[in-house]
Amino acid sequence: MLAVGTLLHAKHLSRSPLEITIALLVPVVQATLAVYLFRSGAEPHRLLEAAVGAGLMGVWSSVLFGSGGAIQNQRWQGTLEMIMLAPRPPALVILPITLATALTGTYAMIATLLWGRLLYGIRLDFADPLAFAAAAPGCVLGLGMFGLLLASTFVLLRNANALANTMEYPIWLVSGMLVPVTVLPPWTNPIAAVLPTTWGARAVREAVTGGPVWPSLGICLAISAGCLVLGAVSMSYVERRARAAATLALA
Amino acid sequence: MSALFRLVGIGGVLAYRALFNWTTPGMFVGTLLVGPLFQLLFFAYLGRQLQVADDRFYIVGNAVLAASLACVFGGTMAVANERRYGTLGHVLLSPRSRTAIFLGRALPYAGNGLLIAVVTLTGGSLLLGLHVPVAALPGLALALAVGALACGFFGLALGALGLRFRDVWLVSNVSVALLLLLTGVNVPARTLPAAMRAIGQGLPITHAAEAARRLVAGQSLAAAAPALAAELAIAVAYAVLAAVLLKVFEIESRRRASLDAV
Repeated sequence: MLAVGTLLHAKHLSRSPLEITIALLVPVVQATLAVYLFRSGAEPHRLLEAAVGAGLMGVWSSVLFGSGGAIQNQRWQGTLEMIMLAPRPPALVILPITLATALTGTYAMIATLLWGRLLYGIRLDFADPLAFAAAAPGCVLGLGMFGLLLASTFVLLRNANALANTMEYPIWLVSGMLVPVTVLPPWTNPIAAVLPTTWGARAVREAVTGGPVWPSLGICLAISAGCLVLGAVSMSYVERRARAAATLALA
Repeated sequence: MSALFRLVGIGGVLAYRALFNWTTPGMFVGTLLVGPLFQLLFFAYLGRQLQVADDRFYIVGNAVLAASLACVFGGTMAVANERRYGTLGHVLLSPRSRTAIFLGRALPYAGNGLLIAVVTLTGGSLLLGLHVPVAALPGLALALAVGALACGFFGLALGALGLRFRDVWLVSNVSVALLLLLTGVNVPARTLPAAMRAIGQGLPITHAAEAARRLVAGQSLAAAAPALAAELAIAVAYAVLAAVLLKVFEIESRRRASLDAV
């Protein structure tokens, strides 16, 4: 059910020219920005990290806005009641949507890597290509599970996009997707430590530059699994509450 | 004349309240105040780490740029949401000047953009410890206002595309991303290729950011005046472009009977 649902929603998202173009163009602009910043700064040798970091930022944006819109889009399409009527736990119905947003977010990663290779001649010299091949999808899976927790909190909010808009840059910043967490104020460290995005980004970066990929990936997936459980419980609770208050389909 | 001011002023405010998606307090604070502040912090810390430029470069630049989100998406909403809510036909049935109706709509967004820029500058300065000379404040307010106005008309010109194209949000999203790259707010313009620099010269924010940086660096208003004049000229150019596009696309969509096609 999860696989079929994820495929269905990934196909659905991939049918939207708007979603696809934004998923491809915006990360490419961000990758270009990152490349020029790294070139003009003290780190011109880290262009591959810049391209991968910009790609990860795109994956997060896709998960964030996809999860924020997962419930709202179903509301607008008039299908929210139908999917909540299905004789399955609500988390199992919504998780494929958030996984699909993470999956389509990989378009961003592919786009930034291709853009960097073709336009700026960035060599795709991954320190550990096998680990990268595991870390990138692992990170995507982790973010998809984290998305369920986000989606469950967004059920009760009519304007979930406000929260989604607010969370884009903070997570990019605190997770060290482009800015190393070491340059951030110390009080951000505990926040970074509990976010799966931090560990996912670290795993992918270590696969690119060298380092212990597997512990970071393991922590990312462990935190994400925790988010999945929390999200499932929260989703069941808020779904029941929304049905009791008759606010499920209020757009 | 008073009828014209009424149309531009009250009409603009009414349209702002009806069509701007982010007028609820939660949406306004979350999207328009907190978001740009974190954007500023993101680039300031990235700039520190890469040693591209100092904090002042990023705080002032991103504060000027902060107006763009409200203005670009606001301008798009000012036109595209009329179509989405099914009220575009009613507006175009009015015998009043289209130019006055729509150009008046850019003004509340510009005011909104100015407020956001001021909040972002204040927040960024307090968090990162930037001292802005008191003498620079009037000129700085002028630079932020002119930048916001240019952005408002730029957004309206993009919004005009909503009369012709269905996925106008795509244009807005990509435009906001391009402003990040091409205006020299986050990447020093000298490090960009000549073609990108040339495009940036024709975009809003570029000159306003330059003027604001000069003022915060302690230079006089006279030193910032050429950049301010360039930004004002760009604002006028986008206002004219928006008026022309709105006129052309209105005629075209009435001829093709596609006014309310969504």
